[in-house]
Amino acid sequence: MDFRDTMQKVYSWACQIGNLGLWIIWLLIHFAVDLWYFALHIACAIESYLISSGILKRYKALDIDKLRYLAIVIESEEAYHIPAVIQLLQWLVDIGVKHVCLYDAEGILKKSKESILGKLNNATLFEEAGESNLLLDHKHITLEFASFPDGKEAVAKAANLLFMKYVKLGGSGKIQEEKIFTEAHMSEALRAVGCKGPEPDLLLVYGPVRCHLGFPAWRIRYTEIVHMGRLKSMRYGSLLKAIYKFTMVRQNYGKSSFNYILLLQVVPHVLLKRYERTRDLDRKNESVT
Amino acid sequence: MPRHVAVIMDGNVRWARQRGLPSSAGHEAGVRSLRELVELCCRWGVKVLTVFAFSYDNWVEVEFLMKLFEKSIKSELEGFISEGIRISMIGDSSRLPKTLQELVSDAEDRTKNNSNFQLIVAVSYSGKYDVVQACKSIAQKVKDDVVRRDDIDKSLIEQELETSCTDYPYPGILIRTSRELRVSNFLLWQLAYTEFFFVQTLWPDFGKAEFVDALTSFQQRKRRYGRRDS
Repeated sequence: MDFRDTMQKVYSWACQIGNLGLWIIWLLIHFAVDLWYFALHIACAIESYLISSGILKRYKALDIDKLRYLAIVIESEEAYHIPAVIQLLQWLVDIGVKHVCLYDAEGILKKSKESILGKLNNATLFEEAGESNLLLDHKHITLEFASFPDGKEAVAKAANLLFMKYVKLGGSGKIQEEKIFTEAHMSEALRAVGCKGPEPDLLLVYGPVRCHLGFPAWRIRYTEIVHMGRLKSMRYGSLLKAIYKFTMVRQNYGKSSFNYILLLQVVPHVLLKRYERTRDLDRKNESVT
Repeated sequence: MPRHVAVIMDGNVRWARQRGLPSSAGHEAGVRSLRELVELCCRWGVKVLTVFAFSYDNWVEVEFLMKLFEKSIKSELEGFISEGIRISMIGDSSRLPKTLQELVSDAEDRTKNNSNFQLIVAVSYSGKYDVVQACKSIAQKVKDDVVRRDDIDKSLIEQELETSCTDYPYPGILIRTSRELRVSNFLLWQLAYTEFFFVQTLWPDFGKAEFVDALTSFQQRKRRYGRRDS
């Protein structure tokens, strides 16, 4: 009995030591991971500063025309911080972005539309800009405001329009179905119910979670999605970097992509443009003297 | 642990090119990665895995993929049956060879009562096509008086999507390999609150360590599904 008791005590003691050891290892792993993310955060902050201050010169060669339409998704709690949203939009105007769709699930940005438009100079609603050429001016921007009902509910409304059309045409037979229920007709029906915005090239998500929070799904087939972190931690440098990286990407729209081929095409083009600019400046200087 | 994991298996061809191998070697290595991921999911309590084999918009280099798909189903089917794994296929199967269509249909039929785990393979799939075919389905039901036109809403559309073959149609996490930052027309409707995890690794190199990274990232996020903190 004594031996058995002793063995049990030894076993219990060994288990406790083992558990303590595992707990210490677990703490060390957590500490190492936290340290790693902290270091990463500091590195991102430094990089963002270097980009903002213009020290990293490559971000100056930004071909903003490649970004035809930008979407910003903001988590609804953060969307209440309207001054931060306005600051973000001001940065986008400075970078030269022409069209922006602002989205939050609860429609807080939609409700603050007037206040946002009022605070920005040269901003118009996307619906009012229409076909007119307001955007010859580099510092002009159109804004579209979207929320959760513009996603799935809009598709349901658009589907209803197609059903009405189907019923009007007699509504029978496979051929009728195939003619009416197509992606093109769905897109047309979505425009008819008020969802006129195009597919964004790039979607930036501001919030704690790395998801698009119900942004109209019909519009994000080949949209690049980048998580930017919380709105309160936004940085100009990070924004510029995300847009710059997008402009360096080549889209194959569902097929395999080869980013290195894009690089081989972009680098000679940039060098040639620089050479031409320098040559033109030299010629101008010669004619003046 | 997310109940449903979705994966865009990108990078097979790049992986092969980096090694001076033909594309087919990349796809075969990709199948091995998929097999490993299925085992991990079964072991760790994930109930559904949806993988994007290839898109409706991308019918390039498909002949080899069809053969590989056929070979994989034939070699894995008995194992899936014994392990209680259910196989489902979503996408436009009409473009697949007849033999493959029959093989897939047979595999789906023989595993339909399995409930341990579900593997959904998206072949010739497009998110927009999924929504449009759901609308066609509803139109047919309206015509047959099964459904009234006034009842058409987003819930009804959701019931008719191809992912209604599972009890968990909304992925908790979407993993895309090869550092591409887009969903490429995959599960568009279903991804509203799905956590995105874009990883640099090419698909054939995606293994246990990378999957652990993805799951850790998922577990760390504060998920509110559009609701506010009370």
